[in-house]
Amino acid sequence: MKWYVIRRVLWAAFASFIILTITFVLMDQVPNQQLMQAEFQAAVNDVDVETAVQAEKERLGLDRPFHERYLDFMTNVFQGDWGWSYEYDQPVVDVVRETVPYSLLYGVPAIVLSTVIGTAIGLYSAVNQYTKKDYAATFAAFFGISIPNFWFGIVLLVVFGSWLGWVPIGWNADIPLAADGSWTLLETAGSDHPAFFRQDFEGERYVGILSPANLKQLILPTFVLMTGAIASVMRYARAEALEYVDADFVKTAKSKGVSNRAIVTKHIFRPASIPLMTILVGRILGLVLFGSYLIEVVFGIPGIGLASFQAIIRQDTDLVAITILLPTFVAIVGNLIEDIMYAVLDPRIDYGDR
Amino acid sequence: MSTRDDTTDVRDVPTERDDQPLLKISNLHTYFRTDSEDVRAVDGVSLTVDPGETVAIVGESGSGKTVASEAITRLFKSPPGYIPEGSIEINGREITDLSDEELRRVRGGEVSHVFQNPQGALNPVYTIGWQIREALQLHADVSKSEARERAVELLTQVGIPEASSRLDDYPHEFSGGMKQRVLIAIALACEPDLLIADEPTTALDVTIQAQILELLAELQEQRDMGMLFITHDLGVVAEIADRVAVMYAGKIMEKGSVEDVFETPAHPYTRALLDCLPGRGGIGGIPGELPDPRSPPPGCRFADRCRHAIDACRTGDQPGMHRVGDAPDHTTSCVHFEPGRDSSTVLDAGSEPAGSPSPPDDLERGGRR
Repeated sequence: MKWYVIRRVLWAAFASFIILTITFVLMDQVPNQQLMQAEFQAAVNDVDVETAVQAEKERLGLDRPFHERYLDFMTNVFQGDWGWSYEYDQPVVDVVRETVPYSLLYGVPAIVLSTVIGTAIGLYSAVNQYTKKDYAATFAAFFGISIPNFWFGIVLLVVFGSWLGWVPIGWNADIPLAADGSWTLLETAGSDHPAFFRQDFEGERYVGILSPANLKQLILPTFVLMTGAIASVMRYARAEALEYVDADFVKTAKSKGVSNRAIVTKHIFRPASIPLMTILVGRILGLVLFGSYLIEVVFGIPGIGLASFQAIIRQDTDLVAITILLPTFVAIVGNLIEDIMYAVLDPRIDYGDR
Repeated sequence: MSTRDDTTDVRDVPTERDDQPLLKISNLHTYFRTDSEDVRAVDGVSLTVDPGETVAIVGESGSGKTVASEAITRLFKSPPGYIPEGSIEINGREITDLSDEELRRVRGGEVSHVFQNPQGALNPVYTIGWQIREALQLHADVSKSEARERAVELLTQVGIPEASSRLDDYPHEFSGGMKQRVLIAIALACEPDLLIADEPTTALDVTIQAQILELLAELQEQRDMGMLFITHDLGVVAEIADRVAVMYAGKIMEKGSVEDVFETPAHPYTRALLDCLPGRGGIGGIPGELPDPRSPPPGCRFADRCRHAIDACRTGDQPGMHRVGDAPDHTTSCVHFEPGRDSSTVLDAGSEPAGSPSPPDDLERGGRR
């Protein structure tokens, strides 16, 4: 087991190395925005363009040989120096640190809820295969997969925000924060809190992650992200469970006198959970990260998805690179966890120690 | 045994216990709903098993013998399967109208099953100790350590060496024969009155088969347990069974003691089956196919494949069970054994293979006419 884990970790490190190298080569090929700006400035100021660009190259260290820059890049990545965001005018690390919590705010509940609900519906559907209940669940799943997140988000905003007025239309990024700008679970604040800009009221209101106002504005994005995720978890769970519904060992369990409930939870779900791990960690994580782009744009949530989206539009190269690398590393770590879980859950897997 | 005695007062104890069969199936039907007509897998089967007795059901694949055995504790998938009519009594208690909850106490408690394929019959993600304990704890209020002790005892009884060290092993660490032994241990965990063994040796190789049969016979004798043995192997029947029922297309064709049925096979189907045994000449099998279980033909189900079929075989229902000779329990569902008919047309017919060169010619002539 120990060697198995070590081998998986080494593989993950190797994969990360390859990805970083490819990223570096690609970024090296992209026209450099600062050089273009220097070129433009030189033209405007009527100085020699060639010398200006050369000077800018020297200033940025771009005149050094390829392998030196490559080494620099790798060292910086590992030291947490991920470059400078011109759009935010601060280090990329700080941008990531500020935006990721907003994405987790609706991403984590969406992952947890969609996994639990999706698996439950999938199992139920498999046990009642080809009945009306199964058809209803399958239909709902196809519906969830087919609907594009951004469209569904807009529809929900129009219906529940605009028409019914149950949820706010604009997303208030200050509500989960305390008055001094740090994250807080729940506290009260007066009307001088930034979240209540231009609002006048007596006394204090709740702010923080768990405050009613924050939960209210999280409902729609969480729900939209969940629809697609529930549907795919449900499809996988149903397919995996179906493999075992008619298995001989299920009949053995039934002949022992095991209740239907215990058959589903112990004898069908447990073996089905092994391949399900693959989906839960890998796919769902990817799905959620991918889905967050458009959801954050639609709802105006200042998370990592919105930051990445704007960085692409405004060619903020360093930020683009990092916001694209992050999901990749999450996927690598996710796969690593998945491999280890596999070995823990399935007694048939040989760890192949040495 | 002690746990069993505690529960007897809950069950309605029959008064004439001695001459009451352990299992009594009367006119059992089991159908499966399909989009068109129902598939009649079991179509009127009656059978008894006495305590300590082994009854074998023989028949070819698709004859309904497995469904009949699973219908006893309603193990078949439902829906689509259902029992339109018939009665099943265990120790005098009707169990066809029990609720799922009550039936669960019968399964594994009074009636246990051992299935055909030991490879897939154990849950791959649990240790065998866990799987035996599960059976024990479902039917008796035992602690985990008591159950563990009992599991070791059971595994030793079914012939697994060093049982205590193997409790924490997973099914994939056992061979096929060993898995079947574990499954037998699970089936016997709660001291059932009746063991239903559905082709328990079919998936095993010949040497292991003999060991498992021996083990079953031995355990049955120790416990005075009734056994319903499903098989297509007549050699196994001769070895293990006291009485035998021959099934074909959902009906019982012939039943009687093993000696009677093997010495004086009465029904043409039984005779054809026995002719298929190696060393008896016939190796071509029985020509023809099983009738469509959705719309079985009128009259005897075997008539289309029978050498002795006469017009009376193709009208009305399956013939009733008629006595064969003087044997007390030996009956067959064949018109030639109706009182007043000459049964010797079947009994004295030689055992020359049925697939003689003439039938194809007959067919051709019939086609031109």
